[in-house]
Formats: sequence, structure tokens, C-alpha cells
Amino acid sequence: MQDTVLIVGAGPAGLSAASTVTASGYKAVVVEKEEILGGAPIISGYAKLVPSGEWAKDAIGRMVSRVEEDSGVTIHKGAKVESLDGEVGSFTAKLSNGETVTAGAIVLATGFTHFDSINKPEWGFGTFEDVLTTTQMEQMVSTGKIACPSDGRVPERVAILLCVGSRDRQIGREWCSKICCTVSANLAMEIKEISPETDVFIYYMDIRTFGLYEDKFYWKSQEEFKTKFVKARIAEVTASPDGRLLVKGEDTLVKRPIIIPFDIVVHAIGMDPNEDNPEIAKVFGIGLEKHGFIERAEHYTNTCGTTRRGIYSCGAAYGPETIDDSISQGAAAASRAVADLNALVQKAS
Amino acid sequence: MATYAEMQQIYDDIRGDFRYDSELNGCLNCGICTATCPAAHFYDYSPREIVQLLWTENVEQIYDAMQEKIWACAQCMTCAARCPFKNSPGGLVAIMREVAIKHEMQSAKDVLRPFGRVMLKLITTGNQLSPDMIQPDHFPDWGPNIQKVEGDLSVLRKAIPVKTLQTVETAWEVSLKTSVEMYTIWEMTGVMKSLELMDENLFDVIEDFIDEKREEYEEWLEEQEDED
Repeated sequence: MQDTVLIVGAGPAGLSAASTVTASGYKAVVVEKEEILGGAPIISGYAKLVPSGEWAKDAIGRMVSRVEEDSGVTIHKGAKVESLDGEVGSFTAKLSNGETVTAGAIVLATGFTHFDSINKPEWGFGTFEDVLTTTQMEQMVSTGKIACPSDGRVPERVAILLCVGSRDRQIGREWCSKICCTVSANLAMEIKEISPETDVFIYYMDIRTFGLYEDKFYWKSQEEFKTKFVKARIAEVTASPDGRLLVKGEDTLVKRPIIIPFDIVVHAIGMDPNEDNPEIAKVFGIGLEKHGFIERAEHYTNTCGTTRRGIYSCGAAYGPETIDDSISQGAAAASRAVADLNALVQKAS
Repeated sequence: MATYAEMQQIYDDIRGDFRYDSELNGCLNCGICTATCPAAHFYDYSPREIVQLLWTENVEQIYDAMQEKIWACAQCMTCAARCPFKNSPGGLVAIMREVAIKHEMQSAKDVLRPFGRVMLKLITTGNQLSPDMIQPDHFPDWGPNIQKVEGDLSVLRKAIPVKTLQTVETAWEVSLKTSVEMYTIWEMTGVMKSLELMDENLFDVIEDFIDEKREEYEEWLEEQEDED
């Protein structure tokens, strides 16, 4: 149908794209592989979002209900696109639920996959109960209580390790995941707010609280919440006989190796390309860039485009991205898709 | 104390080594190499510092580090296994040591002197290792806990075959042919040259020994021909 845009993925980018399409007077069909809408912030149970400070379930929840209440949007949950025929103006997609969707243009808002910390065994995830990921820690923050999973005690010291699954050639991940520095500074403040007796240390290689996040997160976490930043990449996490975690690193500014006891160690996990990307690339006939994210068309004149005409992408599908920018890019990609539909209408008349 | 030109030459020799570019890509200064380095816990040695000095071409500090620090590295290469940039600080230290020897640095001579006896022993009798030679009794530095992880070796080896087990009988004695081949390798790869630069007396003793062995080998070859 020349009045429909197919949107794959219903995270912040996809939800934004769907609303932009209907606001432009066209119809949107949203295909989401999970049974619920909202993407990573909802499925992984993020706590308060950067930079608004609003709870994810409220902020992204509002985007979900806007789409669910939109009569111009058809939603397929628990479904994937299995095959695609046609070209710009007349795509036909077959879905795993047996349905067929015809659309003039497509927006892939297929996002990312959280790095699996099991791939860095030296940092103790999966070995020690009190080693968690940022998403698990956010879930703990959402419960309103900070406690060690092993025995429920209130932690005296929490370590957040940055760049877990990012900036690491040893495991083939050479990109910066962009958001983890700010998310970790935010998390440190949330932990301190709930549990004032807990001290939070952040271990970093570089701090990248870019743009307006510098004072609102990096400075504030130090000035108001006494978060300690240590320039060190941790070599390994082990356990002491009394059940605490031992974090071994070099304080590179003091220049000596250190071993420090902690009660909870949090991995600030990075953003991997969506694990389905090889399949997505095959089904939609598009390219992937060298890290495995979706490849852009011409960078400046077709920045929302993929390598196939009529198929656009946005957000973390293109590489690590913030929620705010994913929302903007979703709207931008939808505009390009709508422009394709407009061109068809003009051609017909 | 070396002149600046000499220190620059030493750096240029390190930089010019064919391995250099694959061992050093840059540095994020994260310190995981130093954190994981066994030597850094006991000595005034930091692999990150070595990498940083080389990367920033600090020829004076590089020269200074070559006096003592680089000799603390145990060449375990854990740094290389951990580095998120895939540098090899241990590999760089290996290059620096070779350059220190090439320049006949007094520090290198001082550090290596106690190993003269080991060197003589290694070159004249070989250093073969077969699986059965690795016994806890011979390695007190493994500590008392090694007994706990040790099981019945003959049973364990049936479960996990050791590829070099056939050497158990033969490894104690080095064949003449192997020795002579090793001498040639050492000569061609510059080991003997390094030895000469570091300790001329030791070099002479070993050189005499090698000549003797070669003669022995020639004689043995002639005997073989005569028999044919």
C-alpha cells in the first residue's frame, strides 16, 4: 500500500517513527518481536532516564500508549518479518505470524543487544552473586532498596566498571558505547540517594559525559553525591575469604597497582549490534558496517537511509545511541519514509 | 650518562625493530597491564609506564627505564592478553632488552652477569623438558597447595593425553646433531653475538665448547660414511 510505512521495532526510535508517520497523515504498521512494546528501557526495566530523571516506565510508557491509542497504527507483537519482496513504493513483507504487510517504505528501528558480561569472565559476572550489570542494578534501584544479592546486607562500597564490552579489541568490540559514562554517573547518584551509607567508585578509562551531561551528571555526581572516579581498567574481580569482592587495578594517576574490597561490583555493559542483525540484513537486503551495526547510505545527503532504497533506519540500529537521539532519529527516518510516499502520490496524480 | 644523541639512537633502534608496530598501537592509559602484572606488584616497574614512554618518544626516560626497570618483567605476557588495545608491553620490553644488549649498556651487563652460569649450562648441556620432569618436589615455589590439585598422573594422562609423552625416555640426553643445529640457529639469530657483547669471557668458553662439539659431530659423520 502506498499510504503505509512498515516500522520494525517498537523501542523509543520505532515508537517515535510510528507517531511521526501518522501525524503526517499516513498509516504505520509496527512489527515488534517481543510481546510488549517499549524496547530496551521497558523490557530491561531501566530506572530513571538520562537526562530527564523521569522513570522509564512513565516516560517510554507514554510513548507506548500514544502509539497503542493511535488508530493509524496497526501493531503486530511477538512477530518478525520473515521475507521481503518488492521495491520502494510497493514492498510486501511476510510476517512470522502468517500476516502479510504491504508498504511503500520501511523504517528499521531494530536497536541493539546488551553486551553479555559472561564474555569477560575475569570480571566475575556469573561467578559471584554480587557482580551485577547496569541493567540489573537499575532494576534494584527500581525496587527502592540497595542490598547485596548474596546475603541482603547493605553494601558499604559499590564499584562500577566502565567499558565492559566496549573499547576492547580483545573481544572484538572497538566502539565506545556512548551512554555508559553518563548512565553510570546517574546510577551512582541513584544508589547514594537510596542508600546514603554506600560509597560508589567508578573505574574509567576516559569519561565521556558529552555535551550538557558534563555538569548535570559527571560534576553533580561528585559534588553532591561524593562519587569517586578512579582512572583504572580493572584486571580482575576475585573474592576474599570473608565473602567480599576484591577488585584489582592500577590507579594510573597514583601509578601503583591496587587491590580494593567491594560489596557489589557493577558492569557498565555496552551496546552490541542487535544479535539478529545478520538475519535482518539478509531478510531486508541491506548492508552492515564493520562492527555489525546497520550501514548508512550516503552519510550527509541520506543520513537516515540504509543501502537499499526505500528502507531507512534510526537509533541504536546504526550504532550506540542515547534514548533522546533515538527518538529524534526515529522521527527523521519516518519523515524520509513519508517523503517517499508523497513522491508516489505526486507521480500518480 | 649517555648523550642525548646516544639516547636518541637507542630509541631509534627500538622504534626500528620490525616487531615494534605490531606490539604498540597507541595507549588508552587504562592501566590494566600494570594491574595484572606480577612484577609491578613487587618492583618499581609498570608496563603502562613503558608503553607511555615509548608512545610519547620520551628518549631520556626510555633510557632511564632501560637501566633497571625493564629487567623486572618476567615476560609472562599477561599484559598482552589483557590490553584492550591489543598492545604487547612485554613484547616491547623484549625489544628494549635486545637493544640494551646491542648497545652494550652497563646495566644489561650487570643484570645478566649472574645468569652466566645458567647460560653456560643451557648451551653446553641443553634444557630439555619432558612432562615427567615437572614434579612438585623440584618446584618448591609452587607452594604447598599444588599437592591438592595433583592427582594420579598416570590416570590423568590417559584421560588427557600429553602430546610430548614420548619424550620422557629420550629427553634427558640431547643428541649431538640437535646440539650442533642449535648452535647454528643461535649464531644465525644473533644469540652468540649478544653473548659476546655482554660477556666476552663466557663467550670464549662457550665458543670453544661449540667448536669441540662440531668436531665431534664431523667425526661421527665420517664414521657413518666409512661404515657404509
